Amino acid sequence: MLGYVARRLAILLLSLFIAAVVLFVLLRLLPGDPAGALVGVGATPEQIEAARAQIGSDQPLGVQFLAYLGDLARFDLGRSFVSRAPVIEEIAARLSVTVPLTLAAFVLALVLAVPLGTFAALRARRWSGLLLSVVAQVGIAVPVFWLGILLVYQFALTWRWLPSGGFPLRGYEDPWRAVQAMVLPVLTIALVMAASLMRYVRASMLEVLGSDYLRTARALGESHTGALMRHGLRNAAVPVVSVLAIELSTAFLGAVVIEQVFSLPGMGSMLLLGIQQRDYPNIQGVLLVTTLLVLLTGFLADILQRALDPRLRQEGGQ
Amino acid sequence: MTDRPDAPRPDAPWPDAHRNDPRAEAHDGPHVSAPAEGPRSAEPTETSEIPAAPPSPRRRSRPAAVHWLGYALVAVILLTGLLSLVWTPYALSDMAGSRLEPPSLRHWAGTDQLGRDLFTQLMIGARIALIVGTGAVAIGAAIGIVAGVLAAFATRFLDDALAAVFDILIAFPTLLIAMLVVAARESASLGTAILALGIGLSPIVGRVTRILTKRVLAKDYITAARISGTGWPMVVADHVLPNIAPFLGVNLALQFGLAVMAEASLSYLGLGAPPPNASWGRMLQEAQGTVYSAPWAAVLPGLALFALVIGVNLTADGLRDRFDPAGREG
Amino acid sequence: MTSKFSPLRPAWSALTTTSAIITPAIVTTAIAVSTLAAPSGALAQEADPQAVITIGSLYEPQNLDNTAGAGQGINEAFNGNVYEGLFVLTDEGDVEPRLVEDYEISEDGLTYTFTLKDGVTFHSGDPLTAADVKSSIERVTAEASASSRKRTLATIESVETPDDRTVVVTLSEPSISLPYNLSYVWIVNDAASDISNSEDGTGPYELQEWRRGSALSMVPFEEYWGEAPDNGGVMFRYFTDATAQNNALLTGGVDIITSIQSPDALSQFTDNPDFTVSEGASTTKELMAFNDRVEPFDDPQVRAALARAVDNGRLLNAIWGDYGTLIGSFVPPTDPWYVDLTHVNAYDPDSAREMLAEAGYPDGFSFTLDTPDYDPHPIVAQFLQNELSKVGVDVQINIITANEWYTKIYQQHDFQATLQEHVNHRDIVFYGNPDFYWGYDNPEVTQLIADSERAESTEQQTEMLTEANRIIAEDAASMWLYLYPQIVVSAANVTGYPVNGLNSQFFVADIEKTQ
Repeated sequence: MLGYVARRLAILLLSLFIAAVVLFVLLRLLPGDPAGALVGVGATPEQIEAARAQIGSDQPLGVQFLAYLGDLARFDLGRSFVSRAPVIEEIAARLSVTVPLTLAAFVLALVLAVPLGTFAALRARRWSGLLLSVVAQVGIAVPVFWLGILLVYQFALTWRWLPSGGFPLRGYEDPWRAVQAMVLPVLTIALVMAASLMRYVRASMLEVLGSDYLRTARALGESHTGALMRHGLRNAAVPVVSVLAIELSTAFLGAVVIEQVFSLPGMGSMLLLGIQQRDYPNIQGVLLVTTLLVLLTGFLADILQRALDPRLRQEGGQ
Repeated sequence: MTDRPDAPRPDAPWPDAHRNDPRAEAHDGPHVSAPAEGPRSAEPTETSEIPAAPPSPRRRSRPAAVHWLGYALVAVILLTGLLSLVWTPYALSDMAGSRLEPPSLRHWAGTDQLGRDLFTQLMIGARIALIVGTGAVAIGAAIGIVAGVLAAFATRFLDDALAAVFDILIAFPTLLIAMLVVAARESASLGTAILALGIGLSPIVGRVTRILTKRVLAKDYITAARISGTGWPMVVADHVLPNIAPFLGVNLALQFGLAVMAEASLSYLGLGAPPPNASWGRMLQEAQGTVYSAPWAAVLPGLALFALVIGVNLTADGLRDRFDPAGREG
Repeated sequence: MTSKFSPLRPAWSALTTTSAIITPAIVTTAIAVSTLAAPSGALAQEADPQAVITIGSLYEPQNLDNTAGAGQGINEAFNGNVYEGLFVLTDEGDVEPRLVEDYEISEDGLTYTFTLKDGVTFHSGDPLTAADVKSSIERVTAEASASSRKRTLATIESVETPDDRTVVVTLSEPSISLPYNLSYVWIVNDAASDISNSEDGTGPYELQEWRRGSALSMVPFEEYWGEAPDNGGVMFRYFTDATAQNNALLTGGVDIITSIQSPDALSQFTDNPDFTVSEGASTTKELMAFNDRVEPFDDPQVRAALARAVDNGRLLNAIWGDYGTLIGSFVPPTDPWYVDLTHVNAYDPDSAREMLAEAGYPDGFSFTLDTPDYDPHPIVAQFLQNELSKVGVDVQINIITANEWYTKIYQQHDFQATLQEHVNHRDIVFYGNPDFYWGYDNPEVTQLIADSERAESTEQQTEMLTEANRIIAEDAASMWLYLYPQIVVSAANVTGYPVNGLNSQFFVADIEKTQ
């Protein structure tokens, strides 16, 4: 197991390095001059040159690249071209919105999907199970921003139960309003994610239900539910866990759209703004941190999966 | 899915859930690869990577009528898109009505801010959705299949490297990659959006192709063919492609839905096909500001999008059942 | 008209008044303020001096330094609230002394001697001195300054500080608009270090907190030299989406929206006694700028023909319903040199076709319209494409980002025609600068505008600029489409806010809220 973790960790670091290189190249291909946007209308060529020198975009690409790698090694993501603030500080502030948003949506999705998916599998041949499958199918085909707008319309504008968007200035120091602000975005992401997760859970359960050992267990006199609980859930969980990691990453990155709908100061809106303004340090920072989180999630899911599945543990230990 | 407790069943490419779900398909790669690819790819267990099919005796219970609904939705949208080539109620840019007319006999879906007919835009939107879906899937398939087959044939080192690249790219969802590609181009266009989505889809296709190809390559008759001196291009043409085609086809159908949805999100973020392209995503984006005075303008393109995605998903389900002998027997 | 990327509006749209002309004497400009919906009975109650006012805005600053490309949002939040200038441009359009107690102009108009107000302190506690004023002016005119106003202060030769309360500014040539231009120069403590992420001004409020992507709050400054604010603090909440902003007002998330972006959003507020809708005087002009340097737009006849081919009234209706105004030129009614020029090159597609034929384009031509990717430009571009196709002119729409607009069009002049909104008042002077992005070069206009800056009286200045206004209209220098309405909506229990928002300023000190 330890050897496996070590090898997995090495791959994690290598992937991160590749991602850093890819990002650097990609961002330098973006058209537009960030210095131009900095100085604004009426600027003289000298002013623009001064701005270029200030942000270092007048240096040869090679020099910029080496400086970039050096900074990364020191966990320094630089300063935003536009706001002049350290990128890492802004990311930290925005992660405090995006991470809870994603995690809460993820947990809620699980809470919805596992029982409903199991139910749908058990009732696969009855109308109630079919109905659930149809609902899941529908949930997958709804554009997430559409669902968000719909929920705002109903819960915020019509019923006035919740704020329509935004996040309190003092963040979690204003816990009640922070929680209120999170409810609708979390619900939006969770519903879409639950629809997709439910299908995994259902399929996984169906598979377990049809497996030989469960039939054997039942033939030996265990009750259906008892057999399911004793043997089914754990086995069904293994493939679902690997899907969860991906779902979590997708939710994290899908926040780009949802933060836009709900005016949340998260990573997604930071990225979108960065792309518009050609604010390379910000784009780079967001994507690097995002990549790190996604890869880390995959890493943890793998470890968890090994722990859950004794067969994998043996193979990995060889 | 080496990690499955039951024995791998090489007859079907992936477990049930993945077949129904475009999002799941999209992620087939990393969660298969995560445990299997890294350290384990050094071990001689390549075939075991192949996702096993569940026996799924109950899956047959889904009425085929649902699939027919899918075929019907796709057919209607396809025909509408084709019809829009020769006939629409109005010309696209014809400002025939007044501002934000509600649906009426003259304008079946109402008009937009400029007084243009929304039904015309919906029809042309169907065509654009089909072009976006087909184009993105074609690009994704072209890149993905080549890379996937290459990886499957390559030395272990190159295979590992390609697999790692697929994984990293899949870690960025299609939408994010597409955003970057759109931003990297000088100006937005429908072509850019399609290219962007295609590139975004390619690692997913590459991932699936690689797994499917490896499965075929492990078969005895391939070994026989190779021993008898058949060159690898012939192996690919004669054995690999025909064998992976059905499963890959189903997968690509699901990517189609994914691409259409992603285009809508791009448009919502303002990065999609520019006017005068009447893409459904763009219509949704334009209608959002007038949603209180003209809700129909936001609802109709949303419904159209929804119908196409659900239609394609159901069609993919139906196709899978046809091509999947295990499923049919079940 | 949900402006998806409103906060990304070109930062320069707020900064476009690189020069403006106004006399130190107060120019009274009639600004119509019509209250469309009567405030409810809440007015009868006492205002709560501790109430915190929440203001919804689409223009979040990029940083806190108005000389570092922070965008129009920083003017909105900080001008007159956190920072003050020697002069202030009031919401009514007057230029009044603010930190200046008294000032004298020499006979030749080349030397201004300012006496500073006594007892003014910065938020850090330091007293205001002449050295602070000198460093503040030089911060803008410095070689490395990124301020768009650098050019307008180019006539400043030197700034002297004979004593702590006296500042002497020497000019190279007379500049009738110096006080106006100084209203943009924030007086910053010369000891302040990093003003892009913090502040040290003399205004009635000090910055409390700024959460990027979300909100910025300020509280009354205890030691303020003038009258204390009528409220207990202000918070600007920033939105990226006009619909989200409207929703926030509807649900009580904000008290005021500084500028409504679509008539459809308005209908929710006009019939509702819980809200007050106020229409102020607008200075925001939507225009299609030709590149007057390149064929075929170097020919005034072609430009005039295109202007006649477009039904501006219909366009205005499509975008703004019953709101907004047609002006036929670049000058809004609030500028003293405004005259109604809608009859010049009015809508007349038949004559447009004839003029095109006369100009040598009987079969029309084709051009590319560079269109910024945020509202309302894409929809305007589609309208123009449709209208111009009727006279045989083929428009290729090319969508670009705000950033590309800046590089490609503003800097490199690499375009045929583009769409843009210009938000500032008194900005006709752009037509006197042949190097401006649209490249309009009429020596007569250039001369008139230059002379007007050296004018001896307001009347003379007005006369010259009115003439310039007529000439650019007849030359069809650009295609002026319409004047935006300037609409502020608030909850009915909130009063005392500015409605004109001139040059993006939004003074908050007089806002009151009853409970």
